[in-house]
Amino acid sequence: MLGAIGSFLVTGAMISAIYALIAIGFTMIFGVGGVLNLAHGGLIMLGAYGFLVVTSSSTVEFLTIPPIAGLAVAIAVGAVASYGLYVGLVEYIEDNPVITFLATLVVALILAELAVVAFSSSPRGLVNLAPGSSGGSLGIRVTNIEIVAFVVSWVAIGLLWYYVTRTDEGRSILATSMSQRGAQLTGVDLPSIKARTWLIAGGLAGLAGVFIGTLQQTSPVMWLDPLALAFIIVVIGGIGSIKGSIVAAYLIGYLETLTVTLLGSGFRGTFSLVVLVIVLLVMPQGLYGREWVHE
Amino acid sequence: MSSDTQTGGPLESVADGYNDRFGHLFGELNGPQFALLIGSLAVLLVAPVWTSLLGVGGLLRTLALASIWAILAMAWDIQSGYTGYISFGHAVLSGGAAYTTAMLVAHVNPDLPFLVTAPISVLAALVIGLVIAVPSLRLRGPYFSLVTFVAGLIFYQLTYAFSGYTGGELGQRVGRIEFELAGAQVTTFDPVTRYYVMLVPMLVIAVALLYVARSNVGMILIAIRENEEAVAAAGIDTTKFKIWSFVLSSIPMGVGGVLLAHFYGTVNPLNFLLVDRSIEIIAMAVVGGMSSILGPIGGAFLVIVLREEVLGVFGVTGRWVALWTVVLLVLVFARDGLFRKLWHVLGDWGRIDGGDDE
Repeated sequence: MLGAIGSFLVTGAMISAIYALIAIGFTMIFGVGGVLNLAHGGLIMLGAYGFLVVTSSSTVEFLTIPPIAGLAVAIAVGAVASYGLYVGLVEYIEDNPVITFLATLVVALILAELAVVAFSSSPRGLVNLAPGSSGGSLGIRVTNIEIVAFVVSWVAIGLLWYYVTRTDEGRSILATSMSQRGAQLTGVDLPSIKARTWLIAGGLAGLAGVFIGTLQQTSPVMWLDPLALAFIIVVIGGIGSIKGSIVAAYLIGYLETLTVTLLGSGFRGTFSLVVLVIVLLVMPQGLYGREWVHE
Repeated sequence: MSSDTQTGGPLESVADGYNDRFGHLFGELNGPQFALLIGSLAVLLVAPVWTSLLGVGGLLRTLALASIWAILAMAWDIQSGYTGYISFGHAVLSGGAAYTTAMLVAHVNPDLPFLVTAPISVLAALVIGLVIAVPSLRLRGPYFSLVTFVAGLIFYQLTYAFSGYTGGELGQRVGRIEFELAGAQVTTFDPVTRYYVMLVPMLVIAVALLYVARSNVGMILIAIRENEEAVAAAGIDTTKFKIWSFVLSSIPMGVGGVLLAHFYGTVNPLNFLLVDRSIEIIAMAVVGGMSSILGPIGGAFLVIVLREEVLGVFGVTGRWVALWTVVLLVLVFARDGLFRKLWHVLGDWGRIDGGDDE
């Protein structure tokens, strides 16, 4: 019993760290530009497939690099794709939220179909960064990849935290998400801030993609669940708030782990939705957020 | 219509006759617009004739499918297009109706007649619509879209969670439509009958929704989209109207869902509940031109014909890539919709500014 509770606590903590990683990128983009990037899940998928291509000999035979380097490639793929998406598309349509909403979703669908064309629709296994598992003494077993995912996610979140609170460049991102006009008046270059935010969010998504792809699955439908999660977490935490995303990621991560343990994986997201609806009705601004204001 | 209008040509006089009688109900038209509408209607009504003459009988199946999707796109339009509360989970409504039919046939009595299952299924769509609308319409902007989107995902997941009842991935068989109408047996085994069984509800719903959209209710819905505070300040309960628009949308969604279920003969998550289906509905409405009712019909026919007939050259998956790319291009370069553009071109052509969509 103690072991079951222990492994529940540990598994929940591991998966929640990845969820936080996903949600932070999503919330930053919304905070800075007011854009809900529905291609976020697609970027996660790109990261996973990018990792697959460079680390596994099953796709491109002569291109096989160590998994650690593959992680860097996944981050780069996510970041570049995200930057390209903003500069090439979103920048021209972000004045209309509905069109942006729809266009980013269509981009995600295009990416998913392209993934089917390139890698077929059957799930692929990723090269495990850290095979094996540890623990066992207390009846708690954790796979090494989960530990790596947990540590790397928190390192990434820590670096981001340092960047947005301690450096001028980062603080201008934070300032923009607090008040766009205020930031502009203090000399912040809005377009470059937005582009940089998309770059960072894409990198985080690419990184998360490798872990999601290893722990769950790498397939053309893998973009959907993380996107829904990012949604739920960001709303519960408060749109635009990094701290809120982390807290809400843990809330949802544990809730899901509990649901899956007790009811099976078919109900994975059901209770998260219930919590989402309650939060939206009781405190629509979320735990740490501002209410959505039309400007 | 305005008195300074110069009438000219037989087309204009026919259109004027229409305007005098029905213009106040459905919006006024000028000659070219009238010709477009009547022409399209005629082409659709005699489709079995010209498809068999041209030797493209298979096209009839595509047109029947497009009629169903047109119902869904119009239904989405009266709610999302008009009020500006964009729903990203509308496939839940049609899917709910389709699954109700499937559950009734599979678990209650396989011999239940269509005339019994269909109304119950539409009612189910209505109930689901209310369950979604009442809590979510208190939310605004992206929050509303978000909740509807997640609701769609959850519904999709639940069909797998309860696969003992729903048949999971493979779905449930529902069979074809068979019922008696004025003593005659109607069955959708026959492609021509099937076409009309899909087309007629579409036309009826189009007229009904056009009537609502051009009435005071439609005006209020548009006003809510443009400035909700102003509408509320005028003493109108906006929440009530938003919920009504959702109800108004749920009914045709239910009809479309039932027809689609019998069209495919099987109800499965892929064809009914996948997120892509909700997005397809929106894409049709946006490609045609949101908040015009007629635009989404055009959009639906365009998208379905592209998907089923034209883009097949790119392969099974490639056609989706191509289709979504086309949709993306329309979103970026013609965000008001292709058919609205066409409509306005025709409007400028004639002499009066009739049939304004806004």
